[in-house]
Amino acid sequence: MSKIELRGVSKAYGATLALRRGDLSIDAGEVHVLIGSNGSGKSTLCKILAGSVRPDGGEILIDGKPVTITGPRSARDHGIGIFYQELSLAGHRTVSENICLSDMPVTRAGFVDRDALEARAARYVALFASVAGDGFSADTTVENLRADQRQLVEIMKALATEAPVIIFDEPTSALDRAQVDRFFEILRDLKAEGRSIIFISHRMDEIFAIGDRVTVIRDGETVGTERIADTNPAAVIRLMVGTQDELAPTNGAPHATAVARTFVLTLQNLSGKGFANVSFEVAKGEILGFGGLHGQGQSSVLRAIFGVNPVASGEIVLGGKTYAASNPREAIRRGLAYVSGDRGRDGVISGRPILENVTPIHYLRQKLRLARPAALADRVRPALEALHTKFGGLGHPINSLSGGNQQKIVIARWLIDRPDVLLLDDPTKGIDLSAKTDLFALIRKLAAEGMGIVLYSSEDAELLNNADRILVFNGGSVRRELTGADRTRYNLYQAAYEAA
Amino acid sequence: MTDATLPTTRPGGLKRLVERYPFLPALVIALVLLALNGFYQPRSVSFIGITGLTKTYLALMMLAIAQTYVVYAGDIDLSAGAIVSLVNVVIVVMMEKMGGSGFSVVAALGLGLATGLACGIVNGVVVAALRLQAIVATFATSIFFTGLALYVMPVAGTPAPAAFWRTYGGRFFEIPFVFYAVVVLAIMLYVLARTRLSTQLLAVGDDAQAAFQSGLPVTRIRIQGYALCGLFAALAAFCVTGDTASGDPLVGGKMTLFSVAAVVLGGSALSGGYGTVIGSIIGALIIGLINSLVFFVGTPSEWQNLVQGLAILLALMAGILVGRRARA
Amino acid sequence: MTATTQARPPAPSPVLAFLKQPLVVALALIVALLLLGEALSPGFASAQQILRLLIVAALLGIVAAGQNLVILGGREGIDLSVGGVISLSAIIAGNVMNGADSGILPAIVACIIAGGLIGLFNGLGVTLLRIPPLVMTLGMLGVLQGLLVVVRNGIPSGLAAPGLSQFVTRPFLLGLPGIIWLWVAIGLLMAFMLTRTVYGHRIYAIGSNEQAAYMAGVPVKAVRISLFMLSGVFAAIAGICLLGYSGSSFANVGEQYMLPSIIAVVFGGTPLAGGKGGYTGTMAGALLLVILQGILTTVHIDESGRQMVFGATLLLLMLFYGRGRAMRG
Repeated sequence: MSKIELRGVSKAYGATLALRRGDLSIDAGEVHVLIGSNGSGKSTLCKILAGSVRPDGGEILIDGKPVTITGPRSARDHGIGIFYQELSLAGHRTVSENICLSDMPVTRAGFVDRDALEARAARYVALFASVAGDGFSADTTVENLRADQRQLVEIMKALATEAPVIIFDEPTSALDRAQVDRFFEILRDLKAEGRSIIFISHRMDEIFAIGDRVTVIRDGETVGTERIADTNPAAVIRLMVGTQDELAPTNGAPHATAVARTFVLTLQNLSGKGFANVSFEVAKGEILGFGGLHGQGQSSVLRAIFGVNPVASGEIVLGGKTYAASNPREAIRRGLAYVSGDRGRDGVISGRPILENVTPIHYLRQKLRLARPAALADRVRPALEALHTKFGGLGHPINSLSGGNQQKIVIARWLIDRPDVLLLDDPTKGIDLSAKTDLFALIRKLAAEGMGIVLYSSEDAELLNNADRILVFNGGSVRRELTGADRTRYNLYQAAYEAA
Repeated sequence: MTDATLPTTRPGGLKRLVERYPFLPALVIALVLLALNGFYQPRSVSFIGITGLTKTYLALMMLAIAQTYVVYAGDIDLSAGAIVSLVNVVIVVMMEKMGGSGFSVVAALGLGLATGLACGIVNGVVVAALRLQAIVATFATSIFFTGLALYVMPVAGTPAPAAFWRTYGGRFFEIPFVFYAVVVLAIMLYVLARTRLSTQLLAVGDDAQAAFQSGLPVTRIRIQGYALCGLFAALAAFCVTGDTASGDPLVGGKMTLFSVAAVVLGGSALSGGYGTVIGSIIGALIIGLINSLVFFVGTPSEWQNLVQGLAILLALMAGILVGRRARA
Repeated sequence: MTATTQARPPAPSPVLAFLKQPLVVALALIVALLLLGEALSPGFASAQQILRLLIVAALLGIVAAGQNLVILGGREGIDLSVGGVISLSAIIAGNVMNGADSGILPAIVACIIAGGLIGLFNGLGVTLLRIPPLVMTLGMLGVLQGLLVVVRNGIPSGLAAPGLSQFVTRPFLLGLPGIIWLWVAIGLLMAFMLTRTVYGHRIYAIGSNEQAAYMAGVPVKAVRISLFMLSGVFAAIAGICLLGYSGSSFANVGEQYMLPSIIAVVFGGTPLAGGKGGYTGTMAGALLLVILQGILTTVHIDESGRQMVFGATLLLLMLFYGRGRAMRG
């Protein structure tokens, strides 16, 4: 009998179906991997189990008995603990307090039993003592910790539930190799104790290192479960992708090398927070790719060029003139454009009409004072159509659109008055394949028309298919430049994983 | 108060210190103000001077503490002053009705506490359970509580029995009563700081969603914060009654915004998750010390309010800037 | 054209969606309250009575215009100093004009400059020093209250010019006094500004997602400072009108408008979080508040009962408007 079983669980947020049909069955003493692309419904499924999201339909059985999980507290009472991908830590509290927050030990008089609390927390802190790194102790305030250390605290917090079922939703994204190894040792111990683990990760090597079975989830539906021993990465990826086509075919040949190279953007030894001594030039009509593992300084460089992050030293030359980036406003006036992959934070003006979301750059570059909807619509529609954006009307709120179409709206704001240089910071994060295809078709067209483009993407295929040259980042600086026939997946991986 | 002399040898020591004791900038401001008070009027730092200051501002300290518990969780209570008014008239009328004996005083105080608690729970239910916006919802309840106070006592002026205010202003074993009150208060705060509730309130203020996902009963915790606020507002009303020796259905109205100011002066963040009750007490003291200093330096009477207002505004800004600088 | 091809839950009926709009809710409540008032005390909904209520609503509505802008701009925007600005403006106006029509124009100029300057200080504190708006404007309120004491001691309380009093209380056009027309003009101007100007779109942008607005080149700080300045100016204008309404300025007249101006904004459908809503709703919100108070003053109950009913009704009405999100999605 399964320890825990889900039958046909579903969840909709307004018009969007986040989880269409979730079927899952976990045994005791098993590490069960859940895999699927961004937005496929993994996190929703986990949150339903953890009680922080209310399901619309379906059934949950624990030890064969149907249960109703009414909230996080109730999930805990049913023996389910969870590691939240977005973390659930109180920044101003100490590591110990966070570990024990859900269930603080109290003395008989009703006071917090500090000794018991510290002792309990110390057990979990000790588990990671060898890999936690500098400045980590039980009495440190969480806001003073590094990202990987915070992730460790969230792991400890999940472990401290001592629940028979523990869910780990992307617990390793910020951890280094040694931390991951240590974490896996602990997971194996839990397994030996007979506990059930649900494990979510995007790293194929991790999945095959720790998993017993894997369930693939696609477009909100669980599409298959395999024994890890009986499958291989390629087969899992085939299940994830389904029948959808690969990315649009590429033109293959770099187009900028043939024409006379006029540089639109040049960086000389640019250094700042998160990157050092970065130099490169972008020619008119060229697509320069940034590659490497996530968070190796690619984003920081782009944001520094756009005037969001400060520059410590070095020089930027834009259109032949030195340029000191002070703020985005100045950058936009100088002909720069920046599209962030985190559209919720940097792009979408939520709750506002589509029109207001497409026009801000136009206002600034044309120094407009009045916003005449009819006149603006004439300018806005071609930009939206260039990306095949699907929308009801310009007056509809942007939130009524899917993620992919929201990102198209955000990109369209740069197309009314063409910039000279377009900085793309992982622009396809969490958007669907057809939107990606539309986007890259447009990017190549813009390049062909003479725009200089810098493209950072966390998906290697996007880089290999679209970039004329690829700079591979590692530890905040450029490790390798891949051009022409060197632009292979193998070279990209090798440079990315090279010790910094 | 020995914390201020802790060694700050390694870099970042100040940051750690301010992080651990968010009220340090406020304490420095308060000490400077105290010194200035002493400089302009030596008698103000005498035993009698300090007693007077404590007696006058104990009510504001209590209300600042009350406000702190809701601010912990990122909420605010604009009805705190109205609760003070209501409790003030309730206990005065009760004591009068029962003849002003010692027993009547005790019974009235019990009823006063219950009234404050009830008001706090109403606020908590309205803000946390019904999910109304705290600023406007507690403003609405403040109107309601003021109405209740006017119902209990339509016009100000009913005197409190002598047994009550003589005790509050009196001495026992040569030590003024207010100092016993301060000691009891200190013990209460210490006890409260050791309960789960303080940590839970702060965790909710830090990130309510995260606290909820951690399995904390967020709604109940916020209601408890408001309940605690109501209780301390009742204590503040006792002090007001002891100080003014009469009932007034509008006496607390002006105190609300000062209590918010005191909390901010004390280094707590209005956004929640960060702060101390000690800081709020010091914040209330700062307001008192500014007021007395403005008087002692001989500011013409019509200018006093302006100078006080400016000084409080400056202290608010300085406290926020210094606190942020020290932690950054 | 629809955004997603996925199945949608049944769309809410358009009638229901229309009825749930804050403006519609407010207008329906206004009509209901007028009928209730008429039922409770015949003559309540008489033309003269309604005119009086309209004048008071205009005063509150003008203050709420500035409050509305500051709240729309987001980041916990709120202006508690309007109470002080109104009182100060009434005193300045009363002394500058001192009962003479020739003094009206200089008085207006002086008050607008004073209100704008106070708003500028608020805005600078909030943006450059990053003081939370509640704290900054609360501190400013304290300063203004002190300033009022100084000003009041130095000079007489001042008199409204006859022209100003007529503007506020006597019929001017179509039987309505000038202040009503002023309010209507402000309403039209605000609606135009918020929907048809770049500035208006920028206000919504910073209120709804400040970071995204910044990345799209919106001068976030300048816009936010200007909002606080406008709030000061609107409060100053309200102060002048208030002087015309009461004939002479008296102590702290403005404070009774401080928190009600926030409630009017909330009742008008602008959440305190900012980024959405508008002034048309706020105008209805101001009317609603004033009519509610009007009814309570006509029915024969004590002041205490009035306050209790008023407070409880406010709470009840708030339940109609945007309540916070539940923790569990």
